[in-house]
Amino acid sequence: MTTYVTRRSFHASVMALLAATAFCSPAFAQEAELRIGMASPITSLDPHEDSNSPNNATSRHIWDSLINRGGSAENKPQLATEWEIVDDTHWRFTLREGVKFHDGSAFDAEDVVASLIRARDKESQAFASYTRTIKSVTAEDAHTVVVETTGPDPLILNSLSRIRIISSEFADAPVTDFENGPAAFGTGPFKLVSYKPGDRVELVRNEEYFDGPADWSKVTLRQVPDEGGRLASLLAGDLDVIEALPAEGVDRVEGNSNLKVIRGKATRIVYLGMDVARDETPFVTAKDGSPLGANPFKDARVRKALLMGMNREAIVDRVMSKNGTVAHQFVAEGFFGHSDEVEEVPYDVEGAKALLAEAGYPDGFALTIHGPSGRYLNDSEIVQAAAQMLTRIGIDTKVEVLPWSVYSSKYSDGEYSLFLGSWGVNTGEVSNPAIAIVAGRDAEKGLGRYNGGGIDVPEINALIEKAASTLEDGEREQIQRELSNLIFNETWLLPMHNESVVLGAKKNIDFAPRADTYTLAYEIHDNTK
Amino acid sequence: MITSLIRRAIQAGFVIFAMTLIVFIGVNVIGNPVDILINPDLNQAERLRVVESLGLDRPLWQQYLSFLHGLAQGDFGDSFVYSKPALDVIVERLPATLELALCAMLIAIVVGLPLGLYAGLYPNRVSSKIIMTGSILGFSLPTFWVGLMFILLFAVQLGWLPSNGRGETELLFGARWSFLTADGLAHLFLPALNLALFKTSLILRLTRAGVQEVVMQDYVKFARAKGLRENRIIFVHILKNLMIPVVTIIGLEFGSLIAFSVVTESIFGWPGMGKLIIDSINLLDRPVIVAYLMMMVVLFVSLNFIIDICYTLLDPRVRLDGKG
Repeated sequence: MTTYVTRRSFHASVMALLAATAFCSPAFAQEAELRIGMASPITSLDPHEDSNSPNNATSRHIWDSLINRGGSAENKPQLATEWEIVDDTHWRFTLREGVKFHDGSAFDAEDVVASLIRARDKESQAFASYTRTIKSVTAEDAHTVVVETTGPDPLILNSLSRIRIISSEFADAPVTDFENGPAAFGTGPFKLVSYKPGDRVELVRNEEYFDGPADWSKVTLRQVPDEGGRLASLLAGDLDVIEALPAEGVDRVEGNSNLKVIRGKATRIVYLGMDVARDETPFVTAKDGSPLGANPFKDARVRKALLMGMNREAIVDRVMSKNGTVAHQFVAEGFFGHSDEVEEVPYDVEGAKALLAEAGYPDGFALTIHGPSGRYLNDSEIVQAAAQMLTRIGIDTKVEVLPWSVYSSKYSDGEYSLFLGSWGVNTGEVSNPAIAIVAGRDAEKGLGRYNGGGIDVPEINALIEKAASTLEDGEREQIQRELSNLIFNETWLLPMHNESVVLGAKKNIDFAPRADTYTLAYEIHDNTK
Repeated sequence: MITSLIRRAIQAGFVIFAMTLIVFIGVNVIGNPVDILINPDLNQAERLRVVESLGLDRPLWQQYLSFLHGLAQGDFGDSFVYSKPALDVIVERLPATLELALCAMLIAIVVGLPLGLYAGLYPNRVSSKIIMTGSILGFSLPTFWVGLMFILLFAVQLGWLPSNGRGETELLFGARWSFLTADGLAHLFLPALNLALFKTSLILRLTRAGVQEVVMQDYVKFARAKGLRENRIIFVHILKNLMIPVVTIIGLEFGSLIAFSVVTESIFGWPGMGKLIIDSINLLDRPVIVAYLMMMVVLFVSLNFIIDICYTLLDPRVRLDGKG
């Protein structure tokens, strides 16, 4: 007996096969669990209570924002599908339709209004830097929202990407309601199962997520601040991905056939600040301890000599165990405001000595460098290395390292002569660190709060103010490039390096590290599937 | 006994009062909580608003008075960091610490006491010498190193036990406990063993020294001469008489297990109070520091009281009221 395969029966069987595979594949993905080891503990699950990286990374699993901030600080649609600039101070957002909260209720404009206002008015003021320009939020209809700003705010999209949208029903709910309480749900890719403070957050996949379900049916965010413990858990197979892989563990992870190291660029810049304001600076003396009679940091040649005298390649290579890249300005290439015209100062001991001599210090001088301990990656080691290098160009350098709780207010108030500082460029734009650490101090406007060196250059201040009110992207980028040139070609700061994001992971994990260092389960994929 | 209890309660009250004063002043000497807690991006007006909402804008003595006022109503104030009542933040983590400390102490007693007794009774046997040498290792190896070695051996190399965390928990008396589930017990074992190591050696050596002293006493010799069974001599005449220093140490060490097992907690990712207090000190979270230390004062005072009651049970000559 022969069977004839007609075209029709062939089609039918192909269709059946396709249907079968289509049914199989989601079932396939269902049994995937992901356990992430976070390097810092979270302080609250209330998405508007406290703004720090671990909190914000965790809240992004459960809640969405209007704008989706991508890994390289770009703005993409999330709960808002499109937006337009109505005039200088009005932005209109069209909301995504058909989105549902985890409890089944529909998402609409009321939720956006309630969330933005809640974040703005919360007593903790944690999101004030993002919400301070929001004057009012109005719902034009169920899926259109207009945000009015107090003045032209070019960074409003970035700001809105930071604020999670909660259900308007819980606009007045206290913190505890968001921690295993009735308010602990959003529209995000994962639903909260349980939160154990100081230990873990357990999540399950939101099957109805508007952007498609995640690869992982179950996600556990473990908080393991201890480096050794985190590494051991990865090696033992108890965790699938760990943040901030300790430098001494890199070899072990690379040598293990089941594991790999994932590296990416972060936007955190580490720099040395100098007192450029006072006529005599307290921690600089002549080599015999007598007063120097002048503040050498007021001379651009001395500042450049300091930068030239530091072997930053070696610091990145040895002190940071390659977990960073040498910086020449605030942001790396590809970020807003990076300028190709910033001179890259090479390591040159003789050149540095020559510059010092030219500035009138042929025999150098003595100074004390200050730094925090345990705040930034290898902070006290960086300060020590820098001190040795400065001593080599003829500046006798003593080191003083203090705990962060003591250091933080003293350095920002400008008590030191040469000090270590760092800034996470969380908008991805040059203006963000410039406002905080370069702008002339102005408490009213919130400028120069961390300007510990007392930098006050009218040209720079003018550019910073101009950048803050220019809406047009191209123009704003040009202003920020000029800003980079002015700051770094005059060496107002000594840029050291950008920290890297270093993760340890199982071989099957695919993840492109994000500039904001968030480890988001939704963006982690299983490459065996 | 009642008067003794009252007297101790009054003493504890004074200690707590002095401690709150010290913490209030101390925290302000270390640094300004505002600089640590507040988002660096805030402008002046926003900062002031937060400072006001935390109550840090008033002079220190006013802050202290309002703290005392709250305390009288059982309110320890809200944590600066977690924005929840400080007491809640601590109590959330209390069960984890409590079960870890209890478990470690249990291991220490069950292992340390018999071995110490054995080493004391038969000091010349080779096995006793091995025990004593082992105990030197027990209290000279640093806890963090032993902990990491445990993890490397049992979790990474052998894969027998989990490396980190608390595992599954079960609800009992309104709190979550690990020791009620198999998974939780597996998570509990390594950190408890790690903590127990030092305490075991301590109890072991103390017991051995006690035995060697008591064995020489006339009443033991007399008991032997009377022809009592060896078991009775050991467990009634010897053990009971050497227990007083051992009980003291057990009590105090139990307190320190609860209050200061930071190192083990962080290595094993155990979400207990030790880690909390260190974080709180770093972040200058004053309400949590104060509430925590007050709890510890109460804990140590109660432990001392329990120890004293144990004395009277062990030695009928001891009277609580007589000595105070």
